[in-house]
Amino acid sequence: MCPVCWYVLSVLSTLTLTPEFGAKLFAPLSPQPRTASLLLLFILQVALAVALNLRTFLRLQPHSNGKVCLNLPNIGVKRAWDVARLQLQDTSFLEQGNAAAPTPEQVEKLKEVAGFPEDGANPECLAVLAFLYLYLSICRKQRALPSLDITVWSQLPTGAGLGSSAAYSVCMATALLTACEEIPNPRKDGESASRWTGEDLELINKWAFQGERMIHGNPSGVDNAVSTWGGVVRFQQGKISSLKRPPALRILLTNTKVPRSTKALVASVQSRLLKFPEIVSPLLTSINAISLECERMLGEMEAAPAPEHYLVLEELIDMNQHHLNALGVGHASLDQLCQVTMAHGLHSKLTGAGGGGCGITLLRPDLEQPEVEATKQALTDCGFDCWETSIGAPGISVHSAASLDAPVRQALDGL
Amino acid sequence: MATTPQFTAGFSGAMLSEVLLLSAPGKVILHGEHAVVHGKVALAVALNLRTFLRLQPHSNGKVCLNLPNIGVKRAWDVARLQLQDTSFLEQGNAAAPTPEQVEKLKEVAGFPEDGANPECLAVLAFLYLYLSICRKQRALPSLDITVWSQLPTGAGLGSSAAYSVCMATALLTACEEIPNPRKDGESASRWTGEDLELINKWAFQGERMIHGNPSGVDNAVSTWGGVVRFQQGKISSLKRPPALRILLTNTKVPRSTKALVASVQSRLLKFPEIVSPLLTSINAISLECERMLGEMEAAPAPEHYLVLEELIDMNQHHLNALGVGHASLDQLCQVTMAHGLHSKLTGAGGGGCGITLLRPDLEQPEVEATKQALTDCGFDCWETSIGAPGISVHSAASLDAPVRQALDGL
Repeated sequence: MCPVCWYVLSVLSTLTLTPEFGAKLFAPLSPQPRTASLLLLFILQVALAVALNLRTFLRLQPHSNGKVCLNLPNIGVKRAWDVARLQLQDTSFLEQGNAAAPTPEQVEKLKEVAGFPEDGANPECLAVLAFLYLYLSICRKQRALPSLDITVWSQLPTGAGLGSSAAYSVCMATALLTACEEIPNPRKDGESASRWTGEDLELINKWAFQGERMIHGNPSGVDNAVSTWGGVVRFQQGKISSLKRPPALRILLTNTKVPRSTKALVASVQSRLLKFPEIVSPLLTSINAISLECERMLGEMEAAPAPEHYLVLEELIDMNQHHLNALGVGHASLDQLCQVTMAHGLHSKLTGAGGGGCGITLLRPDLEQPEVEATKQALTDCGFDCWETSIGAPGISVHSAASLDAPVRQALDGL
Repeated sequence: MATTPQFTAGFSGAMLSEVLLLSAPGKVILHGEHAVVHGKVALAVALNLRTFLRLQPHSNGKVCLNLPNIGVKRAWDVARLQLQDTSFLEQGNAAAPTPEQVEKLKEVAGFPEDGANPECLAVLAFLYLYLSICRKQRALPSLDITVWSQLPTGAGLGSSAAYSVCMATALLTACEEIPNPRKDGESASRWTGEDLELINKWAFQGERMIHGNPSGVDNAVSTWGGVVRFQQGKISSLKRPPALRILLTNTKVPRSTKALVASVQSRLLKFPEIVSPLLTSINAISLECERMLGEMEAAPAPEHYLVLEELIDMNQHHLNALGVGHASLDQLCQVTMAHGLHSKLTGAGGGGCGITLLRPDLEQPEVEATKQALTDCGFDCWETSIGAPGISVHSAASLDAPVRQALDGL
C-alpha cells in the first residue's frame, strides 16, 4: 500500500436497456401452482443492462492517524472510527467472507459497531453499514486495519433506479481491495484512467455484490455487474454475461422525478399477467425478442455502426415503450417525455420500473448539437432533470487527479 | 323483351303502394384490426350512425336515384333499361361482378370508361342491384329511391356497406323476394334469418361493385347488427350482445389503408419474433372481449366495463407498437383519458377514427365536456352506441325530424 498516493475510482451506474420486467417478475414472489408454467417462461427472459456514464467517484487517502473516515457529501454523512477500537471488535462473525449473503445477526453486530439504533435502515445508515461490512471483511487478514479517508461523491440521483448503490459498492470494494493489496493498482503514469484484469474484476464484483446485499437485501446482482464491467451486460436465468466491445451510444437521461414504488409496479404487472395470461404472456415474449434483437444489433455495430443500425434501435425503443405501456407501467409524465423528444425526431422509452422515474432517449450520431440542446431545454421546461451522457461506457476505472473535471475534483476535495 | 312502358300488374300493388323506409348501421372494428389480416380474430360492431333509404313506388315509367350526401340525382327510363340486354347479369349473386359486367353497366349508366369516383360507383352499384334483382320481373319497376346517411364516407365506417344493405333490401322488397315485415303500430321491424342471408348476399355484390375485393364483414355487420366475429374468412354473429354507449371521433387525418396494412406486413417480416407474438396478444384481446360481452348479455356489471377499458388500452398500445398510430390519435386518447375515459383507434389507424367507451355510470356533463374537448381539437365527435340493430324498417312517424327532412326535402 502506498501511503502517499491517493486513488480515485469511478464507476458507472446502470440502467436497464430492455426489458424491465422479464427478469424481475418473479424474484420476490413465491409461485402459486397455477402460475408455475408462466414462471418458467419468465425465468427464461433475457434482459440487457447498460453502463451509464453518470459516475460515482471515490477518493481514498491513506493515513497514519489511527482513524478511518467515511465522507458521503451527497447524503450528508461524515463518520469516523478509531482503528484501534475497531480492531478490538470480534469480527469472527465475518469469517465466511463473500461466500454468502450477510445474515441478520451480522447486520445487527455491524449496527452495534457503527453505533446505529436497531431499526436504522435509512439510506445513510445502509451506506455506512455497507462500508463497515466491506472494510471489516476485506481488511480482516491485514495485521492492522488500515487508516483511511474515503470520500464518495456521485453524479447520480439516488433512488431513481440508476444503480447508485451498486456504483458505491463497486467503488468501495475496489478501493478496499486495492488498499489491502488484494488487487493491484493498474494505474500507469501518463494514462488518465485504467482498469483491472478479469480475475480482479470478478473479485471486485463478488464483494460489491455483498455490499449491495447489505443495502438492498435481495439484489439481482445485475447492477454491480454492469458497474464493474461496464459496457452491456446480459442477464438470463440468474446468469450474467458481458457483451464484447459494445458500441458507446449517446443518450439523454431524463428524470421525471415522479416518485413510484418499484415493488408496487412489479406486483401490478404480475397481477395483470395472472388476470390476462393469454394477452400478457405473448407480450412478454415479444419484449424478450426485442432484447435479443437489440443484442444482435449491438453486436453488428461493434464492427461498423451504420445509420440503419440506429434506425433499428429507435424502432426497438418505440415498440418496447408501447409494450411497457400495455403492461400498465406507463405514466403521463413518461408520455410527455416521449412526445417532447418525438417532436424533435428522437425516440425514448422509460427505463426501470416506470410509473414515473427515468427515461432514455437515443441520440443518433448525425444529430446537430443545437437540436440536442433544444430537446434538453424542452425536457427541462417540463420540470424534468436531463443529462446528456452515454451508455456502454467503461466500468470501474482508476483516474489521475488531472484527468478529472473540475466539479468532480471540487466535490471530492472540498470537505 | 319489349314491354309497354307502363306500370303493369307485375307488382302486387298492396305491398308497395306506400313508401318503404329502411335504415342500416355503419360499423366499427372493436378489436383485431390489422391482426385480422394475419389470420387473427376480430370483432366488428354495428355503429348506430345509420344510412336511411326511402323507396317510393311510381307508375311514371322512371327509376330515380337520389343521393343527397354526395350530390347525385339520376333518372332512367324504365323502358329504355328494359330494352338493354341484361343476360350478362345471369349469374345473379353467385360470383363477383366481372370487369365486362362493370363496363356494360357503365354504358347503361352513361358513364365514361374511367369513371371510378364514389358518385359513379354508388350509381353503378345501384344499377347492378336494380337490374340483377329485378331481372325476373315482367317489367322493371318504376321507383324513386333516396338514400341519406349519418355516416361520413371514406372513414372506414362501412358507409358503402350500409348503402348496399339498404339498397339490396329495398329492391328485394320491391320485387317481393322478401316480405315487408312491418306491422302497423310498430316503429321498426326486421326480417327472418333466411331473408337476412339473401339481403347479405346481394349487399355483398353491391360492395364488390364499389370496393372490388371487400371482406364481407361490413355488409354482414350492417345486415345483422350487433357484434360480428370474423377470422380467416369465417363470419359469425354474437348472440344478443349488449349495446355499449361510445363516442365516435373522426380525427379527419387522411390515410391510406393499403399503405398502413403494408407497413404492418413489412414490420412483421422485419421483426418476426417481435411482431408475431404481438399479433397473438391482440388475438387474445379479441377473445377476452368476446367473453366479456357474452357475460354482459346476462347481467352487465361495473367490473365488465373496467375489463373492457383495460382491453381497449392494451390494444391501443399494441396498435401503436405495430406502427399504425398517429399523433392525432395520441391526442384523442389523452384528451379522453383526462376525463377518465378509455379510447382506441378503430380501423386502419394513421389518423381516421377512434372509439371511446362510455360507462353507464358516467354523468352527462362529463360526457359533454369530453365531446367539447375533442371538438376543440378540430375533430368531429358523435355520441352514439355500438351493438345496434341491423337492417330495419321504419314508420315515417318514428324517424327523427332531421332524417325525415333529408329523405323528403329534394
